[in-house]
Amino acid sequence: MRHLFGAWAAIAAVILIGPVFGQEPTTNNFVSRQDYEKLKADHDKLQQEMNVLKAQMQELLKKPAAAAGDTTKKQTEELEKKVADQQAGNDEAISELEKQVKTVKQMAKDSFPGTTKMMLAGYGSATFMATSKGYGPSQPPEETPATPRNGASSFNATFNPIFLWKLSDRLLFEGELELELQSDDPTTSTALEMAQISYVLNDYMTIGAGKFLNPSDYFVERQHMAWVNKTPDKPLAVYDGLMPESLLGAQVRGAIPVGPAKFGYAFFVANAPTLRTTADDPAHPVDVGTLNSEDFGNSLNHIATGGRVGVFPLPELELGYGFEVAGVGPPGSDVGALLQSADLTYVRASELLRGTVNLHAQWVWSHIDRFEYDTLGAFNNNRQGGYAQIAYRPDKVENEIVRNIEPVLRYDVLDQVKTPIGFDERRWTLGLNYWINPSTVVKAA
Amino acid sequence: MKRSFNSFLLSIAAFSLLACGCASTKQTSGTPAQAQAPTGKEQTGAQLWAQTCMHCHNVRSPSAYSDAQWDTVMLHMRVRATLTAQEHKAILAFLKSAH
Repeated sequence: MRHLFGAWAAIAAVILIGPVFGQEPTTNNFVSRQDYEKLKADHDKLQQEMNVLKAQMQELLKKPAAAAGDTTKKQTEELEKKVADQQAGNDEAISELEKQVKTVKQMAKDSFPGTTKMMLAGYGSATFMATSKGYGPSQPPEETPATPRNGASSFNATFNPIFLWKLSDRLLFEGELELELQSDDPTTSTALEMAQISYVLNDYMTIGAGKFLNPSDYFVERQHMAWVNKTPDKPLAVYDGLMPESLLGAQVRGAIPVGPAKFGYAFFVANAPTLRTTADDPAHPVDVGTLNSEDFGNSLNHIATGGRVGVFPLPELELGYGFEVAGVGPPGSDVGALLQSADLTYVRASELLRGTVNLHAQWVWSHIDRFEYDTLGAFNNNRQGGYAQIAYRPDKVENEIVRNIEPVLRYDVLDQVKTPIGFDERRWTLGLNYWINPSTVVKAA
Repeated sequence: MKRSFNSFLLSIAAFSLLACGCASTKQTSGTPAQAQAPTGKEQTGAQLWAQTCMHCHNVRSPSAYSDAQWDTVMLHMRVRATLTAQEHKAILAFLKSAH
């Protein structure tokens, strides 16, 4: 029996095992425990690994973002710090600059002379003159013995400061002194050339009063200054000549455009000159019959009237006529004087000549009524004289030295032969100027 | 005296002819200041400066003086040289702007 039972068990086992070994994986429903355990172990392992990976991945994801943000933030902070530092520096520099500007403004303001403006201008000269003969006071040719008139040479110097005081846009004070060394006097001569206040009334009229240059004498008013006059000496008749250089009085002057031309005028009333009726030196009565324009006290109570009108028919051409009328004789006499002047100015820049041509001319007439002089009796007291001058400066050439050279030629006339002077004068002056700058010149003549 | 005045007039005429002949050019080839008629309306400050100043003396550069000094100098010139109001204003404006 037991053997049978064993055989049936073995057969059952085979039957049971047989299907296990011989089972084709045709179905997933059954795995062996070993496999199951293996699979479970693998699964667990995988799960574990996955968890680790997950954790690592999460770690990795967190780490770079944090690092980039920190760097940017750090860089931003550094930049912000730099910008802040630079801004602070700029602010400091601007503040310093503002302080300096304020200081400079204050300095300028402190130095500015208020609403009025004072200016010192003027001119000066240093001269050397040499004459071979005929130097000395004028004398009648018939006088004997003739006073020797030897040649002479000397240096001289002058200084003319001009004060210009602009009190407002319409009000101007002009003052000029003349400081000169006298050839026969060790002292320095000081003269008040001009002291005039002018007020611009409107576009066409200016009024003035004081001591002013004689407007009827074109050379005196516009040309006599050392840096304007083109020769070292001055024309015979028009300066220290037949017309007073300056007047004490009042004037009205201005300029009016008339179509394409311009009309300038100046009219005055002033202390009159006085007639010299006696000679300073009776041996040489050459000054008898001349006019003394430096009688500032107007001792004879005469008034002079006169003026000048000028026309500019072309921009480069001016024609002028000046006159002065005055009683000049001593009390009780009716001696009058009529002084007249005609002037011409032509200045033109020429491309053809590569320079500027400058022409000035003026003629003066002096008529003094008949008067019986104590020592000389009556005489024809008419005098006249003038000058014509031409200068040329090649200021358009390339050469810097040549364009500063200016030759000049002047012809002077002074006729007074019928007066106690007794002779006429003629003079040619040939000069050569070199302009150091527009208002500084070396003249030789 | 009449003869000397006549000879003087002749010398002026001679000088004038010489000056005009030498300076006779086409208007367009002269300086800008002299290329136009002398009316303030037509000429600029620069033209008036060159033309008006050279009538008596050499032309000074605008940089010779400050603006404040030019104010004073030009008022002095307006009185002395009988400039018109327009000439005064135009030249002064040019001098102040040119330096």
